[in-house]
Formats: sequence, structure tokens, C-alpha cells
Amino acid sequence: MVSSVPLSRARRNDAQRHRRFRWRSITALPPLVFLGVFFVWPVVAILLRGLRPNGIWNLAVFGEVLADPTMQRVMWFTLWEAVASTVLCVLVALPGAAMFARFRFKGKGFLWSALLVPFVLPTVVVAVSMLGIIGDGGVTGVNLSGTVWAILIAHVFFNYAVVVRTVGATWSTIDPRLEESARVLGAPSWRVFVDITWPLIRSSVAAASSIVFLFSFTSFGIVLILGGIRHRTLEVEIYDQTAKFLHLDIAAVLAVLQLVIVVAILVWFGRSQRRRAVIFEQRSASEIEHPPETRAQRGFIIANLVFMSLLFGVPLLVLVVRSFSTPDGWGFGFYRALTDTRGGSTSFVPPIDAIGNSLLFATMATVIAVVLGLCAAWTIAGGGAASSDSPLGRWTDTALMIPLGTSAVTVGFGFLIVFDEPPLNLRSSLWLIPIAHAIVALPFVVRLLVPALRSIDPRLREAASTLGASPSRVWWTVDVPIVGRALAAAAGFAFAVSLGEFGATAFLVRPDRPTMPIAIYRALGRPGEYNFGQAMAMSTLLMVLTVIVILAIDRFRPAGVSEF
Amino acid sequence: MKRLILIGTVLLGLLASACGSSGSTTLYKEVIPPVLVDGALPRFDEPVTLKVMTHDSFAVSQSVLDEFQAATNVKVELLPSGDAAAMTNAAILTVGNPVADVIFGFDENLLGSVLENKLLTPYLPQRLDGVDSLFRLDATGSATPIDHGDVCVNFDRASFVKSGVAVPSDFDGLASPSVKNQFVVEDPSVSTPGLAFMLATIAQFGGGDDTSANAKWLTYWKALKANGVSVVDGWETAYYGSFSGGSGKGNRPLVVSYASSPPAEVEDTSLAVEQTPTGVIASTCYRQTEFAGILRGSKNQKAAAAFIEFMLGNSFQSDVPAQMYVYPVVSATPLPETFAKYTAPVSNPLTLPYSYVSANRDRWISQWSALFR
Repeated sequence: MVSSVPLSRARRNDAQRHRRFRWRSITALPPLVFLGVFFVWPVVAILLRGLRPNGIWNLAVFGEVLADPTMQRVMWFTLWEAVASTVLCVLVALPGAAMFARFRFKGKGFLWSALLVPFVLPTVVVAVSMLGIIGDGGVTGVNLSGTVWAILIAHVFFNYAVVVRTVGATWSTIDPRLEESARVLGAPSWRVFVDITWPLIRSSVAAASSIVFLFSFTSFGIVLILGGIRHRTLEVEIYDQTAKFLHLDIAAVLAVLQLVIVVAILVWFGRSQRRRAVIFEQRSASEIEHPPETRAQRGFIIANLVFMSLLFGVPLLVLVVRSFSTPDGWGFGFYRALTDTRGGSTSFVPPIDAIGNSLLFATMATVIAVVLGLCAAWTIAGGGAASSDSPLGRWTDTALMIPLGTSAVTVGFGFLIVFDEPPLNLRSSLWLIPIAHAIVALPFVVRLLVPALRSIDPRLREAASTLGASPSRVWWTVDVPIVGRALAAAAGFAFAVSLGEFGATAFLVRPDRPTMPIAIYRALGRPGEYNFGQAMAMSTLLMVLTVIVILAIDRFRPAGVSEF
Repeated sequence: MKRLILIGTVLLGLLASACGSSGSTTLYKEVIPPVLVDGALPRFDEPVTLKVMTHDSFAVSQSVLDEFQAATNVKVELLPSGDAAAMTNAAILTVGNPVADVIFGFDENLLGSVLENKLLTPYLPQRLDGVDSLFRLDATGSATPIDHGDVCVNFDRASFVKSGVAVPSDFDGLASPSVKNQFVVEDPSVSTPGLAFMLATIAQFGGGDDTSANAKWLTYWKALKANGVSVVDGWETAYYGSFSGGSGKGNRPLVVSYASSPPAEVEDTSLAVEQTPTGVIASTCYRQTEFAGILRGSKNQKAAAAFIEFMLGNSFQSDVPAQMYVYPVVSATPLPETFAKYTAPVSNPLTLPYSYVSANRDRWISQWSALFR
């Protein structure tokens, strides 16, 4: 196995390239049609309801909203808060990604899976835990509630896993001999990182950053609960204007603005991602990782673990401790109360059912997202052509990300006005739940698959082609085994996204089929020790379930590239 | 002939609304005739599925819904649709082609927009007789009162016992230096109890017509602000995150919550009323009435009317306190034990006319926001 990095561009056969182009146009269709029906159509409908009431354009409202100093403040805050959150998150998460990519240590597999826990927990649960630590009268004695710091810390809390898992997956396939050669040639560590590692990981850093940016940009619960009343994001403003005041015109202007910023940022990220994509030979993680050898390496791991236990361990511990701290002392009282029928209330469903519903919706959403995500990623990564730069791929990539940067209430209210007639009378259909989850999960799937697909040596595909394999066979025998690890990570993310999704689910859910986050909110919406305790107990169960499911998915990764 | 009757009905409706003392200008094309037969619910030969749009806090015992189905052959499907405001606006957005047949849970602060947008088909329930006229705010009869609650300041008993400070007894007490930095309220622009408390201050201090920053009620808020009041986004954050009493995990002993919150904190029902972990400052209570109505465009009007009657019946009314922590509107309904024992009925809650609220609410919120943002 000889590595030659970067590879020179492979020669291309024109006829073959033409065929591939058609092939990849076809694979772009399913995800784009899906997005068109379940996202673009409802969003455009609700925007038109605001901007073109009674068939007459009302564009003057743009001027009014943009000139309003309150709105200007909201826009400016949203933008800088999102940039700051993204930068901070990447800075603190890169060492974590390096640790997972390079070292073998006890409990690594568990930790890698457990990282996704914060990602699935309902905002309000985490926020109430955090208030107990950094809030008014919290245990640290530092009151950050109502400050930007509380918002930034919470954004890092929720998005750390996005960066670590996305970048870590790529980093773990980089041949460490590249870095070693540089070191042998006398480069100091920082030079090795800047000149060798960074060019190889920056495409995945860009991919993760754009997701973190969108999440922070559309932050809702965190800003409301931890940011106090002075800090408002566009998302909060759009929610209020739509759901509270039904000012659809103002909401539409803000939504258009949100869309414009999101698309601009995505195009920018997309460009840097494409320009910097480098083809390199992947190695399997098991060949690369090694136990820490020097004291510096051990220190590096310990520092990372200490950071993670402060960021995640403390708030999650508060939550778990509260779930066992009943009025009658320590015990399983709140867990037992979960199975109590409480007089057979319609607002109460046994938690085992909520777990079942969550697993069912998450499985459906994962299947939809992975199938559509593979189609999309194939198109974006260039469908096997050495040149991965195609307008179709670029636009597919951007289009799939847009839903992450769009307000849930815009889509939810859009659903109400477009799916109101047969054949798509879906307004009260349970199918909308996995569909909505899949829309949110798609970009994660795509972001994890594209860098993996792009990094495949095109000569492997060409060899298969030359030997007479059809495009689908090339894909199945070359691409799928190589992207297997990314695929498993993608499925895990999709599953986690669905397990934790609240915003869209709250709009679509039926009382008899609540998901776990919905059950948690229901309990937390009522006063009393037992309601609070049950919310904590259910959250703890959600954490445990997430770890189990993600561990299982992470285990089920294919043998990887080491087989070549 | 049918058309003539219809036109006649419309004209009558026009006349009726023009003459109506409430001054409501709502115009309806249809009216649902009474559905009770000798005081009993009608039974449908074919099974009917009735969709009921509710806010997220709606709850009812399954056995109560089963009873309705057994009596009428109508199966109820619940559609929770966000908080009361989001639900109402979703209904306004789909007016004429509604998602559900019945809407439940809009309060008097939303009543104005419900009527203005002609969301409902009028139905005057036969069982409305048992309801105190205090709750019958909608003269057109399309919005039926179902339950009521009171938003009141709750206090943490243990904290005041420990500090030896007297529990504030009224609004002014909340602004007194003895409770500096001890009060948490919800943002009225996003929270329903927060809005109710702001309205309570307007009802108490007046100045609702004053558009300046010196309106009387705002002067009170300035005093609260100077006294270190904390404003948070919603009830969950205020009660569980900031409040120190009962199941609260915070450190502030005064919070805006409900008159029905203290019984929820009682685990041991042998506890004396004066010893409950939390209590209510009764003079701060603001009345909230929740309504139901039949959505215009419903294809199941008769079944919907039957459900409205059912909600005013004894089984539903007596189920309301334990399920939703609110009081039944039918005054003769017996209350559950903890409720009867641990909640003092709020005798003179503050109120504002709903039309006054819907005409001024947005302005009041911006006046308030100007002070706090």
C-alpha cells in the first residue's frame, strides 16, 4: 500500500463523464423533490400569505421592518452571537476531535457515543440544570443568566458533538505517517498541524461549522431561557410575530432575511469547503489510533476529559441527581411514578410507550434521511467524477442545509395552509413527524458522507469501471465500503436528531403518541415535586436510550478501508 | 325556498348583531340548533370522529372521553397545537377550512381576535344555565366558557418563616425593600401567566389609556424593577428555575404562578392549610377564563355541539380541576379533596374587559418592553 498524497487528477473519458453526469442528476431528484414538497412549498405559501395578502404585493413592509431599530438590534445580535458561538465551539472541540482521532484509551467507544447525549436533550431540561450551576443562586456562585456567556456556553454544550464527531471521523482516517514524515523532517508540532493536518481536515471543519452556525443562528429555547429578556434572535422574533401576534407580513420579512443570510453563509462555507477538499488515501481508525505514549500526550487526553466533564458532566449530573432525589430521600420514586396511570389522563402516556414512539419515529426518520442523504451526497460529491465541482451538486448541498436555518414555526404554519386538501391532506397525519425529522437530519447525513465520498481515490472507481462495472455496481463495491464509517456516523446523527427533535414535533404530535421530549415537556409544564421529578427521570432515560442506540450504531460500522 | 330561509337567517343575524348591546359586528351565515334531547346527549347511528384542537396544557381523563363516546358514538381525537396563542393563530390561519371541529382553550385575552376573525359557528349551549354570568363574556354565544383559573403571586412559606420577613400582602408589598431581589415574573410578551400579571397591574393601578412611559401601571413596574424583579421567559423557568418554594430549584421566594399551584405541592394531605409549602397572595389574582367553540367550516357541527354540551356536563366539569389545575365554570360542580382544602376560592379577582385588552394589548406590551429591554 503506497500512499501518494495528493493525487494527481485522473484522466477522464468524456463519454464516461457524460454518463456520470446524467446519473448524478437522477440521484439528485429524490432529495430535491422531497425538499420541494415538504419544505419549499409550505414556506413559500406562508411567505406569500404575509407578503401578498389578497393578491396584492405588500413590499413596503420590508422598508418598515428593516428601518426599525429594535429589529436591527435583533438582526445584529443574531449574526454576531452565531459567529461567536461557531468560532468558540470549533476552537474548544478541535482538541477533542484530535484526541478521538489519534489515541486509544479506556472508555473511548462509550465516550464517542455518549457525546451525542447533549444533542438530544430538550433545551428546557438542560437550561434548568444550567441555571442551577451558573444561574441566579447557582452552585458556582457565578450568575451568568441573562448574559451572552450563558448563551455561548449552552451553544457549545449542544454543538460540541457536531464538531468532534464530524471532524473526528475525517481526522481518524488521515494516515499519521504524513504527520510523522513532516516531524522527521524537522517541522515543529504547530507547523505539522498548519501545513499537513489542517488542509486535510478543513473541509470537514467547514462542514461542521456551517451546521453549528445554523443551529446557533436559529437558536430559540436557549436564548429565551438563558439569555434573559434582552437577548432576542431572529428565530424568537419570527416565532412571536407568527404564533403570538399573527403579523404574517413582519414574520415574512424576517423569514426572508433569515433565508438570505443563511444562503449567503452556506454559499461561503460551501466555497471554502470545495476549494480546500483534498483527496487522500484513507486508513482505518484501528491502524491509526494508539495509546498515549509521552507525558504530553497523556496530559492532552486528561485536559480534554476534564474539559468535557466540566462542560457536560456537571449539568448532566445535576439532572441525574435530581431524578433520584425524591421528597422521601434518595430512590427510584420518580421512575416508579412514570408508570403510574395518574387517573388515565389523556395527557399521560406510560413512558414505555413514549420510548416506543421515539424509537419508531427515529427509525423511520433515519431510513428516510440516510436513503435521501446518500442520493444527495452522491450528487454533491460529483457522482464519481474526479471533478467534484458541479453547479447541481453545489445547489443540492446548499438547498438541503436551508431547512436548518429556517424557523420551525414558519414551516409548521406553512404545513397548515398547504396540506389542507386531498391528496396531501396531511395536516393531522403522524407521517409528518418522521418527515420533519428527516428534513432536519438530512444535512447531517450529507455533511458526513460528502467528505468521505470526495476523499475516495477516483482511480479505484475508474478501475472498477474499466473492468466493466455499471455505475451502480461501482458505487456499491467501491464507495459504500469506503464511506461505511461515515454512513454509520450519519445514521447515528440522524437517529439522535430525531430522538431529540422538539420544535417541529410539538406542532405535529398527537396526545396518544408523544415522543420522549414531548413527555418531558408535559411533565415540566405542571407544578409539583413529582412532575418535576418525572421530567428529570424521563430525561435520564432519554440519555441512557441515546447512549445505547448510538453505541449500537457505532459498533455496527463496517470493516472500513483496511481491507484494501 | 331553502335559499330564502338562508337569506332570511343572514338578515336576521345582521339585525341581531347590529342591535346587539355588545356592539359586536360579527356576522354569521349559520346557527346550529340545540342538540340535547330532553337534556340528554344525542346518539349518532354511524360512528363519528370529532377533532378537537387544544393548547398543550389540555388534559382530560380517558374514562371521561370514553363516556362521551359510549353515549354518543362520537370518538374524540385531540390535536394539541402549541400554547393558547399559537393554537388560536393556527385556527385563524385556517379559518373556513379548519384542522379540527372544536377549539378548546383560548382565554379572554384571545377572545377578541377569535370573534374578530369569525372563527366560530355560533352555538348557544342548553347547559349554559349552570354557568355564572360572570364567565359568559361572548354575547353571540359562539364562545362557551369551560373553566377558569387565577394567575396569582405564589410565595415560599419556609423562606419567609426562616427570614422572619412578613409575606407581602399586596402589590405594593412586592415592591418593598424587605423583598428586594426576591420576586420572579414571566415576560408578558411571550408567557400567558406573564401577560395575566401585567394585566393585573393595569387593572390594579390603572393608566391603561396612557400611552406615555409614565402610565400609572408602568410606574409600579419601575418600582418592581428598582426592587430587583427578575423577568424570565416562561412559567417553567420561573417556577422550576428561579422559585425557591415547593418543587422550585431556585432562590427567589416569590413567583407569578396560579392559584391552583399550592395544592400540587402538597404530598401529604394531612397537612394543615397554614403549613403548605407554598401559598397565594390573593389580592394579586387575575381571572382567566378558558373557552371552547365550534370552528366554522366543521363538517361535524352536530357532534361538535354535543361535545360542547358534554364539556359543560358534570363528568367533564368535575374532571377539570385534577387534570388541568383549573376550576369548573359550572358553580355547582364538587371539587376534589386537595382542591377544596388547599385552595382558597379567590373572591374578587382582578379583571379587564376583553375588548379593552384586545384593543390595547400589543401597545401595553411594547410600553412594558421599552422599560425592560
